[in-house]
Amino acid sequence: MFAQQVVNGLIIGGVYALFALGFTLIFGIHKIMNLAHGGIFMTGAFIGLYSVQAGLPLWVAFILAMIGSGLVSVIIEVTAFRRLRASGEVEFGALISSIGANLVLVSIAQILSKTQVLRFPFDTFPVVMFKFWGLRVSALQLAIALLAVVLVIAMSWYLYKTSFGRQVRAVAQNERAALLAGIRPGMIYFQTFMLSGMLAGAAGVLVGLAFNSIHFMMGDPFLLRGFVVVILGGLGSVAGALVASLGFGVLQTLSVAYLSSRLSDIIIFGLLFAVLLIRPNGLFGRDEAGVLRGRR
Amino acid sequence: MDQILGYRPLFDLFLLHLGFAYSQYIVLRAGAFSIGNVGLSAIGAYTTAILTVQFGLPMPVTLLAGALIGLLFGVLLALPLARLRGVYQAIASLAFVQIVLSTNLYAENITGGAMGYSGIPKLAGTGTLLCFVVATIYVIWAVSRSRIGRAFDAVREDEGMAVSLGINVPRTQTIAYAMSGVIAGLFGGLEALHSYAVEPNQFGFHLIIVIMSYVVLGGRRSVWGPLVGVALLIALPEISRPLADARIMIYGLILMAVMNFMPRGIVDTLIARRARRKARKLAPATLKPEVQ
Amino acid sequence: MKDLVLEHVHKKFGGVTASNDVNMTVPAGRITGLIGPNGAGKTSLINLITGMLPLTSGHILFGGQDISTEPADRVARSGMGRTFQNIRLQKEASVLANVMVGFHRHEKSSLVSAILGLPSSRREDAMLRQRAMALLEQFDMTDHADSPAGSLAYGHQRKVEMMRALATDPDLILLDEPVAGMNDVEARHLAEIFRRLADQGKAIMLIEHNMRFVQELCDYVYVLDGGRLIAEGLPRDVVADPVVITAYLGVE
Repeated sequence: MFAQQVVNGLIIGGVYALFALGFTLIFGIHKIMNLAHGGIFMTGAFIGLYSVQAGLPLWVAFILAMIGSGLVSVIIEVTAFRRLRASGEVEFGALISSIGANLVLVSIAQILSKTQVLRFPFDTFPVVMFKFWGLRVSALQLAIALLAVVLVIAMSWYLYKTSFGRQVRAVAQNERAALLAGIRPGMIYFQTFMLSGMLAGAAGVLVGLAFNSIHFMMGDPFLLRGFVVVILGGLGSVAGALVASLGFGVLQTLSVAYLSSRLSDIIIFGLLFAVLLIRPNGLFGRDEAGVLRGRR
Repeated sequence: MDQILGYRPLFDLFLLHLGFAYSQYIVLRAGAFSIGNVGLSAIGAYTTAILTVQFGLPMPVTLLAGALIGLLFGVLLALPLARLRGVYQAIASLAFVQIVLSTNLYAENITGGAMGYSGIPKLAGTGTLLCFVVATIYVIWAVSRSRIGRAFDAVREDEGMAVSLGINVPRTQTIAYAMSGVIAGLFGGLEALHSYAVEPNQFGFHLIIVIMSYVVLGGRRSVWGPLVGVALLIALPEISRPLADARIMIYGLILMAVMNFMPRGIVDTLIARRARRKARKLAPATLKPEVQ
Repeated sequence: MKDLVLEHVHKKFGGVTASNDVNMTVPAGRITGLIGPNGAGKTSLINLITGMLPLTSGHILFGGQDISTEPADRVARSGMGRTFQNIRLQKEASVLANVMVGFHRHEKSSLVSAILGLPSSRREDAMLRQRAMALLEQFDMTDHADSPAGSLAYGHQRKVEMMRALATDPDLILLDEPVAGMNDVEARHLAEIFRRLADQGKAIMLIEHNMRFVQELCDYVYVLDGGRLIAEGLPRDVVADPVVITAYLGVE
């Protein structure tokens, strides 16, 4: 029973990883906290759903959802963030602007869905159960795990093996130096936001399938929990986000199973608060965590 | 006459939200990026509600209790948060709001859980609300002109500079948190005594966004910023029906537009422009060219 | 009247030594200069003195008190004022408001009286306003009292920083390139003010690149290069010292 919950936790952790990676990527590279990430996640779920409803096979819908979310993410970069870079106080401005962008996405979804909770058609994904080692794992869970792994590997390959990825990491290290070295910022922003959006969109479709519910408010709880994950792992750290997602998935699943969902929330956010107090950099964070410096 | 009275609920809403807005405004003014005041309002609201319904205590006492408990938690929140900066402070305060919300949902025996806490007599009418709003604005105005207000501005603008002037930054921000707590707790209590019932989700992410919108739109520095922000955003849906239906989208667009084109908010931008114009007329030769 | 004394001050950042066994005295009533090529470690030293950075080893004494481990705000309150190389003012606030913040450590009104706007708080406010205006008169800036500080020319902004530092009524003033961007007339005016302050018993530490200004004004000069003091003495001797000349010209 316990092992079963752990497995369930790891699977949901995989989805959190996809969500958290996109989020921590944007923060790590651009130092922007993109609160529209929840909305982009939701957008992916909606695009996936509507594609399936239009008769497309699931795998096509999945790809469409990823591309669509990526594009929405890029649009948000252009409308919400681009102008801010020129002025000071980017941190606060980007946060508020991203909240605004999120509200726009949510309201569009609300209108489209007429405030209803939507579901994927019944036979979208085969309902098959696998049993081994006393555990029950559904085909969907396996698919989620597989996709999460594939996407993470793909992203890592992109970031660490391609020249584009190297440029992205150069910008993350030191934006001014990278610009002086001739790296074109527009291309970098396009790619990072596209990538971040694609991952969020993928997570959205998977969550929509896994919980069989898609609605315009689905982004918020994920965003809140996404905070916990990225802070635990260290804002800006890819490895940290991965480790923290899995750990978080297990923690949440176990606490909901053995305690209650309310208590689970208290524990999770209490943990977030505690981490921020004791070790704001999280597991692997590089950022200065904005802690007051000087002699104290 | 009926028409004017018909606007009373709207005016009450305006007054209540103005209080919430000032509670958010004062921490931002001191450079503390905290959005935890909503959690403080929740605590104040439930405290006042429970003391009124369970113990039958009169309004002055229950409101004072709400304000004091807001003060207490405000200061408690300041202790850890004063050491954080920027988004980390914001996220920690958000975690606090979530903890309060979840605790309210969980402690069903005391708070009524998800069903909320109802049956609160409506003891706070328009007159009461107006009194407290006026008092709040007065206090904020008085503080602005005082040593503490100057310290707030210095800390917000440039901490290193403030420190070089002998300003104790954590202490200054703690004062801001304390003030925010008192105002938040008080108006949480007023909300409870005005709305017959309170429920946990009322004081969550949604309210944070609404309050932040007021302050962002109106301005985070001038005392009149929140007033303008709340007035505009509350009046807007009343002006036209279609605007009311698309309220969420309008809020979103306003937030994006303000941060991109008028980041200081309406009032602060206007004040800055007027000050620059006056300065230019004064001694044009000594001023450096306008850099935008 | 407080002297500033640095004893064997040492600061390492990881592998880099920013300050290497620095011994220095900035006596009250005198103007002491600190010069050195860019990257010499002047800024680090200032940050060590003002409490923004912790010392690796050594002592800093101010008026006989050891301030080596005191946090920056307490150091400031003990009577140390400074101006910044890159002008740190509240850009949107008026000149008057900028200067009035300087009175912070001396203000006596309680928090409660400030919050309630009681007469005692308002009286003190009015008095501070007057004192601020007196400072503005001294610096010939009364016309600009209500102008936003950020709209002024650089020379004027430096004056505002000076007024603010003076408002704290310090025993020691650290001036980080105070006359950069000023013409000779303005610089001379400031020099007179610095001299007067020193005569009143304040200790003044001046960091400058303007050699003529340093020579005319300073009673004693220290030269920093690569974190170490390479020379010290009377201005005219230091300027002629071959070691100093080498440091500035980079001749091997």
